[in-house]
Amino acid sequence: MNVELQVIGSSLRAVAEEMGAVLIRSAFSANIKERRDCSTALFDERGRMVVQAEHIPVHLGAMPDAVAAVMTLPGDFWILNDPYTGGTHLPDVTLVSRTALGYAVSRAHHADVGGMEPASLPAFSRELYQEGLIIPPTPLTDEVIDLFVANARNPDERRGDLRAQIAAHRLAEARIDELCARRGRERVAAAMDELYAYSERMVRAAIARLADGTRSAEDVVEAVDGELTIRATVEIDGEEIRIDFTGTSAQDAYNLNCPLAVTKSACYFVVRCLTEPDLPASGGAFAPVTVTAPEGCLVNARRPAAVVAGNTETSSRIVDVVFAAFGEYAQGQGTMNNVALGNERFTYYETIGGGQGACADGDGPSGVHVAMSNTLITPVEALELSYPLRVERWHLREGSGGEGAHRGGDGVVRELRVLEDCRLSVLAERRAHGPRGAAGGADGAAGRTLVNGEEQPAKVTTALQAGDLVRIETPGGGGFGLASPPGQ
Amino acid sequence: MQSTRVAILGVDVGGTFTDAVLLDGGRVRTAKVPTAERQEESVLAAARAVGARDVERFAHGTTTATNALLERRGGRTAYVGNAGFEHLLHLRRQTRAHLYRLCAQHPEPLVPLERCHGVRGRLGPAGELEPLGEIPDIGDVDAVAVCLLFSFRDASHERAVAGELRRRHPGVHVVASHELAPEFREYERASTVAADAYLAPVAARYLSALADAAGAAGLPEPLVMLSSGGVATLAEASAHPATILVSGPAAGVVGAGLVARRAGFADAIAFDMGGTSTDVCLLPGGRAARVAERDVGGLPIRLPSVDLHTVGAGGGSLVRVDAGGAIHVGPESAGAHPGPACYGAGGGATVTDANLLLGRLPGELPGGLVLDRDAAAAALAGVDPAAVVEVVNAEMLRALRVVSVERGHDPRDFALVAFGGAGPLHACALAEELGIATVLVPEAAGVLSALGLVAGDERRDRVVSHVRPLAEVSDLPQDGEADLRYRGQSFELTVPLQRDLAGAFHRAHADRYGYSDASREIELVAVRTADIVPGSAIDLHATASRTVSGPELVELPGATCWVPDGWSGETNDDGTLVLSR
Repeated sequence: MNVELQVIGSSLRAVAEEMGAVLIRSAFSANIKERRDCSTALFDERGRMVVQAEHIPVHLGAMPDAVAAVMTLPGDFWILNDPYTGGTHLPDVTLVSRTALGYAVSRAHHADVGGMEPASLPAFSRELYQEGLIIPPTPLTDEVIDLFVANARNPDERRGDLRAQIAAHRLAEARIDELCARRGRERVAAAMDELYAYSERMVRAAIARLADGTRSAEDVVEAVDGELTIRATVEIDGEEIRIDFTGTSAQDAYNLNCPLAVTKSACYFVVRCLTEPDLPASGGAFAPVTVTAPEGCLVNARRPAAVVAGNTETSSRIVDVVFAAFGEYAQGQGTMNNVALGNERFTYYETIGGGQGACADGDGPSGVHVAMSNTLITPVEALELSYPLRVERWHLREGSGGEGAHRGGDGVVRELRVLEDCRLSVLAERRAHGPRGAAGGADGAAGRTLVNGEEQPAKVTTALQAGDLVRIETPGGGGFGLASPPGQ
Repeated sequence: MQSTRVAILGVDVGGTFTDAVLLDGGRVRTAKVPTAERQEESVLAAARAVGARDVERFAHGTTTATNALLERRGGRTAYVGNAGFEHLLHLRRQTRAHLYRLCAQHPEPLVPLERCHGVRGRLGPAGELEPLGEIPDIGDVDAVAVCLLFSFRDASHERAVAGELRRRHPGVHVVASHELAPEFREYERASTVAADAYLAPVAARYLSALADAAGAAGLPEPLVMLSSGGVATLAEASAHPATILVSGPAAGVVGAGLVARRAGFADAIAFDMGGTSTDVCLLPGGRAARVAERDVGGLPIRLPSVDLHTVGAGGGSLVRVDAGGAIHVGPESAGAHPGPACYGAGGGATVTDANLLLGRLPGELPGGLVLDRDAAAAALAGVDPAAVVEVVNAEMLRALRVVSVERGHDPRDFALVAFGGAGPLHACALAEELGIATVLVPEAAGVLSALGLVAGDERRDRVVSHVRPLAEVSDLPQDGEADLRYRGQSFELTVPLQRDLAGAFHRAHADRYGYSDASREIELVAVRTADIVPGSAIDLHATASRTVSGPELVELPGATCWVPDGWSGETNDDGTLVLSR
């Protein structure tokens, strides 16, 4: 590879990372500042993603659609959150701006975008309209910002978070200007091409090392009306991979639906784990991967299907199913255990880690986010200083990981006591079925959601009174391989 | 500046070499000895080698604490937290170690689960929620870390637990989090106090052996360099060894500040490129920028430290070309053995080999090692050495940009102080990229940390946690720093205490993030003060003066400087080479 281009590429990566740092450090909502539920990226003139500062895998494959959605629009700075034109679910608000060479993109999960429940994570939404304000790709103006914040429960915080996002874009614009002035626009453009081509070369070579063949796998999600099936067929053919979801259930009457962008993210995540896990993120890495799904099915839903849990829950299951089609892999907790609490005075959102599935060469880590999320937990002290909530317990759920030659990771227990009347929503999975072990390893324990000691279904929205206690027990990971009998 | 009459000794122990600087009546003498298994022996060997006699003040930089942490050689430690939160050290912040390597493990916590205990009783943001319960049996341990929720606001429960444990176990080292880092965010505080307790037995053993050895050799009891760039007494460092985790690199930064100030440059960037890693640090106004928290070996340490940014690449870093054709440098290193390919001991291709092939290293190193060009060329196997240098420079540039541009400073306003074995080889090229006009290469570039030790201030840091509106706070101290943020943010900006603190914060926010908002309430998170006894006034005298003009290779004691085409300069009165274009 030409070294000058490699050096410019390293500068471009630094710009994306600096954008992310500015966004996190100057944001106001716990979601962005403490949990880092956001990503930033640079795209080239053709709308191809060249570098991404990754915090959250679910944003991986879903950003290119956002740029494609604004490229033909007038203006140079846009906002969107519409899952059916470039977005994922409504709380993920994406900004796209023109730079001297291509586009800068930031995506951040806003703690509330309106809709029927505080924190915009209703368990029982049946249409997208109930999940919050829908913003199709639109030029970003002061009036649009006013309209957006007027529709959210915490307008002041929303405005602050948007300013942090805008600051990240201003920074990217200035840095790209500097880079073009120093290196020349043509050289920077060539470096962008090379970043994309380099990732593509690396991933193609890695796919070529996998055995060719076609395999299918399936699993279920625990929808409000019963279980829905996800079926994936993976075809490895030379240096390309095709993943198809024919055989998957029709779209959910509630909100487990995924727009295809989210489904693609989940597939790219698995390919990334199995090919080049250390490769810097670039769209080229996914050029050899084709993802298809019948229109109107759970993983390629049609407007105006509700989608809020698709991004967190269904995406987790897609990862499990695609892994299973590739070979024997123990499952991780397979849910993000979304907990949202709020009333007219506050909105709080958290996702809780659990057990990772064991690998062929090691135990699964305990108490971590698996698959499509990697958000941090809000510190107990930060949480209690900010919200009318008290954390009563937070510890490992010992013994919840599946036994095996390698043990699955343990889940965790987190108890929250609410100090004011408020509404609770929990969007979770793996309450009926524990994560599966592989190669003879035992399954991990299923998760549990309890309110005042009473067990709840996987998806729940309910009113709480001051003093009520919510307890979340997250699933353990599956084990890998037969455990040796005692004494051996 | 007046010459001092007393002799001052600084000894910095590194992984491969132990460096000494003796300042005697304004004359600087330096020495380098190999680091031995027992650090105190290396310290005394270095002191002898530099001819230390009638030493008034003796300051020391050590890697004992860092190595004990990284190699997990600390004491058998227990942890006491709130009941229901015993596993805090194992839960961390719930992120996984690697996004795409699903079974990658975090570094092992310092306290295993079976030694993590809970005590009933709970404090909340507004006071006691449940009285303190029975204090658990901690078993047979060397040290205990105590960290209870909200102890940064109310230390009464922690104080009671620590007091009782000290009564029960007089021989066990007990540390409570409020004694060390009374700041909010429980995981980061717990991690800090656990590291402190874990290191205490090892640090106490080493420092007392050193004190004995120094006493026997007629040297005064050493002061120890802190991560914050100040020095503390041996007793203070033994009590809280988490404060000395970046002792040596901090001393280098202090040395760089001294060299820059004396050369007439108020604002400088320290660039310390060694064999396996590179440390960079901003010195606005000639003093090291500091941060309140630092990651050491994957563990957050919430203690003041010089704002050092470290990159896992240096002169000995190995070069490899991946399947996609990209050149990578580091983080694997050839180390001292076998060393770079050109040492002729069977090592792989390194940055040093590339520099040799480009004619930027002498054929023979001081000490007599003849460098083998053919071995270097064979190891690089056709990879363009200029390309290798460009790739490693790109890594260095990123680090330099992180500490300058990303902190809201324009590097063009700064001088680059280059030191460490490889720093002066790469500095001019980096300065050119960043638009920096001046590169300073100290005569003591190879032993600058030891020079920093003799120049260090005596310093004790204090922090008072507030977490309340700035408008409600009165009678702040005159000197020191405040951690401030807009109410609702999670990350603070540190601003020097001054009359219009709010105005200063709005300006700092605009500099760093591109906007400010005068209508938002400002929250005061913490106030940091330090008691400082200034170090001795120091005078340096050049041993030789020279004028250089690039392209030219300049050999210094323990380092080599490459002056590229277009650069030239001369030594100042201190012996510092002042280079410009």
